[in-house]
Amino acid sequence: MEQVTTHQKTILKKEKAASPNLCGLCRGTKFLCGKDRCPVMVRFFSKSKVKPLLDTTHLGGASPPSVFVGRFGYPKITIGPMIPPTMGDTTVIDTPELWLPKSLEEIVDFRSQLVRGKFFVDATDVENSHKVVQYTRELGLSKNSVYAEAWFDKKPYGRIAFYDEVQPHGPSAPISALDITNPKYDQRIEKAYYDTDLKAREAILSIYKDGTQVSKIQRAFSVGAFGEKRRRRFVPTRWSITAVDSTLGLELLKNTKTYPVINEYRVYYHNQYDNRWVILLTPTEWQYELIEAWYPKTTWNPYGNEISIFSSHEFYDGRTTYAEIGGCYYAARLATNELLSKERRQAGAVIMREAHPGYIMPIGVWNVRESVRYALTQSYEKFETLQQALVHIQGFFDIPLQRWIRTSAVLKNQLYQRRLEDFV
Amino acid sequence: MFVAKVKSDIIKGIIEVTSPLVNEAKFNITAKGLSLRAVDPAHVAMVDLELKNSAFEEYKASDMELGIDLDKLSGIMKLASAGDLVTLEYDEEANRLIVKIGNLVRRMGLIDTAGMPDSKVPHLDLPAKAVVKAGELHKGVRASEAVSDHLSLNIDKDSFELFAEGDTDTVNLKLPRDMLLELQSPGKFRSLFSIDYFSNMIKPVRSEDPITINLGNDNPIRVDFDIAEKNGHVTYLLAPRIESE
Repeated sequence: MEQVTTHQKTILKKEKAASPNLCGLCRGTKFLCGKDRCPVMVRFFSKSKVKPLLDTTHLGGASPPSVFVGRFGYPKITIGPMIPPTMGDTTVIDTPELWLPKSLEEIVDFRSQLVRGKFFVDATDVENSHKVVQYTRELGLSKNSVYAEAWFDKKPYGRIAFYDEVQPHGPSAPISALDITNPKYDQRIEKAYYDTDLKAREAILSIYKDGTQVSKIQRAFSVGAFGEKRRRRFVPTRWSITAVDSTLGLELLKNTKTYPVINEYRVYYHNQYDNRWVILLTPTEWQYELIEAWYPKTTWNPYGNEISIFSSHEFYDGRTTYAEIGGCYYAARLATNELLSKERRQAGAVIMREAHPGYIMPIGVWNVRESVRYALTQSYEKFETLQQALVHIQGFFDIPLQRWIRTSAVLKNQLYQRRLEDFV
Repeated sequence: MFVAKVKSDIIKGIIEVTSPLVNEAKFNITAKGLSLRAVDPAHVAMVDLELKNSAFEEYKASDMELGIDLDKLSGIMKLASAGDLVTLEYDEEANRLIVKIGNLVRRMGLIDTAGMPDSKVPHLDLPAKAVVKAGELHKGVRASEAVSDHLSLNIDKDSFELFAEGDTDTVNLKLPRDMLLELQSPGKFRSLFSIDYFSNMIKPVRSEDPITINLGNDNPIRVDFDIAEKNGHVTYLLAPRIESE
């Protein structure tokens, strides 16, 4: 922890002179740079492989199933199915839980096949009787790939769309008609759908506890399948992902806080897509932080010459405002609490992500959820003291420990805040 | 047995003092009054509260413990206006606390106190003492919140000083002896504290009332003040942060 290499010294020096990096805070969603299209996103569009554009306004294929609910113009939004021009079992295309073993290129490749239909609807109009709306909802509730046929007003446009929190997808077009055959509902989801007195929170909790994948819950959540009847609405895909991660994480956390604290400091490690993930669990009451460091030339630090670091945290009583760093905070919190619930233990958690230049495009918060989940299935190193654990962690990172500590509210708290029993 | 009648403000005061640290508390009841001691989940702060039977309009009790969910009690107390008299009664058969506000009767389930440990009070050597008007501290803390998440408190032979430092800004509040109600210090003493915690500890005290501070070097702070028109007393302990930033 005391040793600083020359390389690290240069980084530190550069960082001190760093200007604020807007991209890391915005991630293509808030237009903080003042331009009307995100230049980072545009770069990905232009780089993405040129695929033969769909030369038709009629498309038939097996929807994984997949749906997309847009957020722009809320509450007047576009919803619709996503359909690839392929047949058979396409489930994997919309099941991020299965993607970790795949390369970024593969993921982009199969996601770019998904053609998105856009149908204007009011978010509250979940009962809309138009077939496009009805069938989109049925796709959202379905558990298997469903043959779907769509008629578009225009030829689908665009090559691939990237988002910060949402998985990428392919071309899109306004959709005028939709037909589907034989969706098989997921029984647990169907039950909650027909229970119009069941609150959305309780619905997703019980479905989750029955073992349904988070991506399935989130898909059904986005088509307004849950909640008390009059309060149901379409939820933009991006919001639905975080809503589900956040709600499930908080619920698990209620129990986590009643469990006994772990006995040791633990360090888990996993490298995914040139993101180095370190998860430090501490033998303390619940406190949590996600720190992300972006090297120059990584997704959310495209122009800078300096590393940018962002973090959000909570102490025992939780937060009252939305995390500065966005949906990834809640995805990682869920993954952490899954481990703690399984072990019936409580701990503090500091998750550190060092994103290196091999991580070149935004692929969605599933990457955070699944990477942290995976890291936590790996064997961990045990330490008696925080100092020992930190020295071990330094071995994984290029950025000096001092820099991580300086950014981290939770580490600072653990290093510098004394406890009353230290004085007994 | 426990039956008491008390002004709603006094109950609200207890909640204000205790709830920043814990959601549940064990009240120890005796014929002389009630008391509670609680440590927050992070083991950084402790509250010790005493309320004599003279704080109550009516009070009858034998030795017992009540495990109370403070969030719930706080919700109930929102039903009472300032100056309302509230009756508290322990219902032994149902293990509930009966709260009467006017004609409203609210029965509240109690928490099992068996799982709530008795906290040990650390032994502390705090040589410096200053009695400060709460209003001065409120001002200093409010200013500090804007620049940092921790502040230092300093007492020497002639003054009490509060200091906070952020990346670019600082806050300094120096009170010489003549602006203090009392000052005793054999030398210079200084400790660093989390502003969040410290702020919650002094918040319940009215600006014109005194707060007693006992301080050492890199040691916990002890904060004392009276409640319920001197029929009650609160002691807080707060563990320090150590420097190295």
